[in-house]
Amino acid sequence: MSTRAEFLRRIRAELARTPALFPATPSLRPAHPREVADTIRRELSERWPATLQRFQQEFERVGGVLHRVATVQEVPSVVGRLARERDARDVLTWHPSALGFDPARGLADEKLTCRTMPEAVPDAAARRALRDTIATTPLGLTGVDVALAETGTMILRSGPGRPRSTSLLPATHVAVFDRTALVESLAQVAVLLEAWHADEASGAVINFITGPSRTADIELTLTRGVHGPKDVHAIFVERPLRE
Amino acid sequence: MSEAELATPFRDRAGRALQDGFLQQALTIATTKFLELRREAFGEFPEGDALRDRARAIKEATLQRLDHYLEQLVDNVERLGGHVHFATTPDDARRIILDIAKRTGTRMAVKSKSMATEEIHLNEALEAAGVTPVETDLGEYIIQLAHERPSHIIAPAIHKTKGQVADLFARELNRPNVPADPEVLTAIARAELREKFLQADMGITGANFAVADAGTVVLVTNEGNGRMVTTLPRVHVAVMGVEKVVPSMTDLAVFLAILAKSATGQKLSVYTTLVRGPRKPEELEGPDEFHLVLLDNGRIAQLGGTLREALYCLRCGACLNVCPVYRSIGGHAYGYTYPGPIGILLTAMLNGAASVKDLAHASSLCGACADACPVRIDIPRMLIELRKEVDEKKIAPWSERVVFTLVAWLLRHPALFRLAAPLARVFQRPFARGGRIERLPLFFGEWTRTRDLPAVAARTFSERWAALEREGR
Amino acid sequence: MPEASVRAALMITCLGDMLFPDVGVAIVRLLRSLGVTVEFPPGQTCCGLPLFNSGYHAEAAGAARRLVEIFKDAPYVVVPSGSCAWMVKHEGPGLLKDTPLAGEARRLAERTYELSQFLVRVLGKTRFGSRLRGRVTYHDSCHLLRGLRESATPREILENLDGVELVELPGHDECCGFGGSFSVRLPEVSSAILEKKLTNVEATGASCVVACDAGCLMQMAGGLTRRKSQVRAVHLAELLEP
Repeated sequence: MSTRAEFLRRIRAELARTPALFPATPSLRPAHPREVADTIRRELSERWPATLQRFQQEFERVGGVLHRVATVQEVPSVVGRLARERDARDVLTWHPSALGFDPARGLADEKLTCRTMPEAVPDAAARRALRDTIATTPLGLTGVDVALAETGTMILRSGPGRPRSTSLLPATHVAVFDRTALVESLAQVAVLLEAWHADEASGAVINFITGPSRTADIELTLTRGVHGPKDVHAIFVERPLRE
Repeated sequence: MSEAELATPFRDRAGRALQDGFLQQALTIATTKFLELRREAFGEFPEGDALRDRARAIKEATLQRLDHYLEQLVDNVERLGGHVHFATTPDDARRIILDIAKRTGTRMAVKSKSMATEEIHLNEALEAAGVTPVETDLGEYIIQLAHERPSHIIAPAIHKTKGQVADLFARELNRPNVPADPEVLTAIARAELREKFLQADMGITGANFAVADAGTVVLVTNEGNGRMVTTLPRVHVAVMGVEKVVPSMTDLAVFLAILAKSATGQKLSVYTTLVRGPRKPEELEGPDEFHLVLLDNGRIAQLGGTLREALYCLRCGACLNVCPVYRSIGGHAYGYTYPGPIGILLTAMLNGAASVKDLAHASSLCGACADACPVRIDIPRMLIELRKEVDEKKIAPWSERVVFTLVAWLLRHPALFRLAAPLARVFQRPFARGGRIERLPLFFGEWTRTRDLPAVAARTFSERWAALEREGR
Repeated sequence: MPEASVRAALMITCLGDMLFPDVGVAIVRLLRSLGVTVEFPPGQTCCGLPLFNSGYHAEAAGAARRLVEIFKDAPYVVVPSGSCAWMVKHEGPGLLKDTPLAGEARRLAERTYELSQFLVRVLGKTRFGSRLRGRVTYHDSCHLLRGLRESATPREILENLDGVELVELPGHDECCGFGGSFSVRLPEVSSAILEKKLTNVEATGASCVVACDAGCLMQMAGGLTRRKSQVRAVHLAELLEP
């Protein structure tokens, strides 16, 4: 078995005897990604309606369904309708601190049981129990860190109160976001990624979600929901969630 | 493919594939569909060409300082709480993974689709050590149930009909009367595999990329199995060829913009998962351990070798879909882990030039692969280099080398070369009819079995030139 | 004609010389009618592409060296085959890179043109007469299309032929399956690729499929006559009337 030193020594030896194929440099990284990210967000906030329109177009192309509501108070009724259509009685949600609002009361009004994910990490036994809860709940409600218009993608960072399988194990995933999440292009996302990874407090996983889980592995027939959610819904809230 | 099957000459394996009616139909449908989708995706993406150039430059820049970027990656993965292992050979890689399995008491490992683990034949090793490997990509799952090998880099089971899959599920999963309906079959696989995800101790993945300065491993999937295996089991092991490292997130975004478009024509695959080490203490889920196995297996030697450019490969499969040879014979006939034009280069990289003495010629050098490649790998050029190596190392049959040496000699002697036409006219006399030859003996019969050959003209152009010259005055 | 001062040498190619001499004759007459003084330097054999593609590079360099010497004095070199033109333009300089002939090889590469490119890009000529009437289709040979990046000049000429309708060939950019020694090393695969090509050709309803490469023509003509097709495979030059 090789060691790191031995591995690198062989690589250096090979590189030493090889001229470059052509002169090349990696991409220029922003020196201060956080500032650039702030600037991008600020500029985007002025043209969010066009960005949302593009997001909707691409999101629908990949099989997502977008709902628009005026305020966060309307979110539970949309979730309630989606749950009733699926005979679902339980809803899994991110912790209110991660979601930006607390849907529990509204969901109760819709006769739904709200299973809220804890912000603090419980002991191992409780974690196992929670995992079973997540695995058996039919609908998961999450927030969105970035809604990428160019591709109809929702980007979700894991972290306290925002377990990653909320958007994975339930058959239906419903994500809520407002104008502050919207960005136009992958290039802009790259700046955000640069900013995030410099942040030691970032969670262990960042997920880009572009529509429902799909496969075409049997005779190239497109089939949804092979492992992840079969249905993916986004609820756009016109009045920003954190005002 | 088994050793016994590899003992069959490539030409015969290809011939068998050509006789397989279903395979032919499946290949046509699949590759045509992928081709169309790819064309559409780049059609509405005008910046695609510039991004492909950029992606190519990033790959080259990374290789030029591979030691630096790998060190950075290793440091950052470790900083985030992961462990990094170095495997020179497939055997090293298998031993590393088996050690982890043993130490963590792993009895079942769920796998997300990974060519690197195919390459090191990991499943057999796990089974031998008493660990049950479960492939979770639907195509790979089907292949595993059928005890076969993938036939396409991104669509491993395209050679199977839904009827065959239904029969397979009925037999292997004990589910009689399964209809041959992809929707139903997919739902069955979902239910079966959901159990496995929840039970498994270890998740094993490849890596599409690893971002050096972020210590982040990137997985791209459509089904979500990549997310499952990195979220639910206690241990996550990622196996990755050393060339998959990219310097930064900015670079990563360039590759993400072209990878799915090249592979399936999607703007992005459904899931792109950026893994930054094991579960953080403040997080509810995720593996307690994260291991990254860096795999050499012939790659490092090619940094200074003729196949260096093949190290740019993103494993998108676009070159397979456009290759007239792949489209005719499919993946299995190639006989190794990686099929298609790029597969020939990778096979040579992993197993040496001698292993591709026949495969190096399994290309008409039409160049469609180089055109389709998102990072513009000059595959035909390297196939020719491999042919050269096969020739120089005297791996090619002596008869072939004699013929080519003779031809070369003849080309240098025009007086003798000019005798070829009259000689051919004598030779062809019993066979030529109306300027065409329908059947020839010996080696020439390889042509005439399926095609007519134009007869050598009664008077060659050279022989007519004197008259033509006079005509011009 | 203003082009009267143009002098060009014909590189007939091995296949062109022995199997398709009529194409060469047609080119000579066509070029002369355009005022070009056509030369045919003696001693021509082959460009070395088959050797090169099979990995016999020292031998291919020998062929490249001969070409440089044979065509030393030609202001233009015209080649009726995209693949041979590609060999001279693309690979010749590389093969002779570290030899005294390196500069000459580069200059030969610059002066060498595939026929349709020479007609359109050098002579500026896109309108020709033709005896042919009806529908034709065009097959992009791989080396001309992806090697020399040319898809326009043959089409421009065909579109401008009076009484001739050019229809696009489905899969026009796909290989015909020839591939030099590939066609006899793996004849079954080569033929399977050819079958797809010919099915597409016949679906166009064209009376002939036009190409600018002797290799493709040999492959497609061989397949068409074998399947007793009414469609003919012809070289572009055979359609053009002075």
